[in-house]
Amino acid sequence: MTQKVLLKLSHISKRYKTETALKDISMALHEGEILGFLGPSGAGKTTAIKIITGQLRQTTGEAKLLDTDSANIDASIYEKIGVVADNSGIYEKIPVWQNLSIFAKIWNVPKERITEVLQQVGLYEYRKKYAGKLSKGQMQRLVLARAVLHKPRILFLDEPTSGLDPATAVSIHRMLLDLKKDGMSIFLTTHNMEEAEKLCDNVALLFHGEIVEYGPPQEICLKYNRNKQYSVRLENQEQITFAQTSENITKIAELMQENRIQSIHSCEPTLEDVFLQVTGTSLQS
Amino acid sequence: MNNRNKLTAVLQLKWLCISTNKAIMIGPFLTIGMVILFRLIYGSNTNGTLPPVLTALLLNLGLSMNLCSDGFSMVGTSIAEEKEKHTLRALMTSSVTGVQYFIGSIFFPFLFTVAVNFAIIFVCDAPVELLLTPAFLLISMVAALISCIIGMIIGICAKDQMNANLIAYPLMMVFMLIPILGDLSTLMNKISAFLFTGVVTKMANSCATGTPYSVTALDLSVLFGELIISILIFLLLYKRNGYEKD
Repeated sequence: MTQKVLLKLSHISKRYKTETALKDISMALHEGEILGFLGPSGAGKTTAIKIITGQLRQTTGEAKLLDTDSANIDASIYEKIGVVADNSGIYEKIPVWQNLSIFAKIWNVPKERITEVLQQVGLYEYRKKYAGKLSKGQMQRLVLARAVLHKPRILFLDEPTSGLDPATAVSIHRMLLDLKKDGMSIFLTTHNMEEAEKLCDNVALLFHGEIVEYGPPQEICLKYNRNKQYSVRLENQEQITFAQTSENITKIAELMQENRIQSIHSCEPTLEDVFLQVTGTSLQS
Repeated sequence: MNNRNKLTAVLQLKWLCISTNKAIMIGPFLTIGMVILFRLIYGSNTNGTLPPVLTALLLNLGLSMNLCSDGFSMVGTSIAEEKEKHTLRALMTSSVTGVQYFIGSIFFPFLFTVAVNFAIIFVCDAPVELLLTPAFLLISMVAALISCIIGMIIGICAKDQMNANLIAYPLMMVFMLIPILGDLSTLMNKISAFLFTGVVTKMANSCATGTPYSVTALDLSVLFGELIISILIFLLLYKRNGYEKD
């Protein structure tokens, strides 16, 4: 069954006076899908989110969000989508619960939902604590809790785990996968390729405002797996990498027959390697 | 129903922003405190009763200071704080409309400014029977509204709280000092007649010296003219970048 398209970008470009932020971007986000925009800082990821969510106007092209042209988006669209910007703030001088109860009032969400979301992000026990006293990771979870409070159909996340410790990042990943399971579509920007590989159904590699590669992470990686190699660890702890030649295949078969292999892995490139191959630049730059 | 909920939520948020920001909340108390202090100092030489000219001076000082420093900064600084803490974008991407945010932002500062205007009359021991008239109420409310809209303009232009203060200072110099110095210079007095704060101080001067104030066509033109101009400037800036420039 074909999934419903919730977001469609057709030939979107954004030009500023002296630079071009986005060039001819086309892609679609389906229901229940996580789509990642992967690229280094300044690649145009945040600009893309701002255009889609109506915070910025594109120079050319068409963006359709939930069947509404982004040029005609008004405030009511935010009742159906959730936005977490790279620097989304919280009201630090009020408690965690009140931070959500005010937004619950805006979205007409029952109070029970606040409890549910706070439990989901692991902040229920901190509900009476002033938001400014939370750790950075807890603040980010509160921002996420606020964004999903009204059960949006699409969640836009701009670098949701940037600057967070690995444990918090993992808990956020878990949360995003749970949300996906509940049918929410997620548009995610990141420069963390592991995050993209782990979470995304499709990724768009963005470089200087252009999509240089698009598709499921694994397919992209396999597409660029041109020099097939296998990493073998022998019983004597020796680590050998074999290129895929008929001679090496025989060698590996022999080692297996002699039961000398402790572990064997194929060495397909990561998204980071693909990005480097395609653009000549690292994602972390 | 939902729109009313949204407005209530914005009002609640803005109240929390204003009431928890000491830099903002100190303003009205500072104004009233300063008027009380001046009254005590002046009054110590005159057995506690001030001559009309000093009452007029105190009224001018208090009303101008309230309209400018309190009105401008209460609105401007609270918006700037939201930009600084990155909560404004969160609020504006939560389905709150520009109009709801506008009303929410000026509601409490407007009430505060009008209330402090009235408090100053009592603190100055000015002739209440001459001041508490429909004309005073109208002028006071329109002036407070202009002051709040100028605060919105400051908030739109400012990147953070410090920047908001920097933008507010020159405006305060014009709208606060010129009417206060109006008694000392003819030129200042002439300019003051064309400022909304000048209309307020003119009324205060008149009443303090025992002359009932009657509204002139010029006063009304200045008040409503500046109200319209401030709204137009605000709309122009809002149309260009919204509340926050990208």
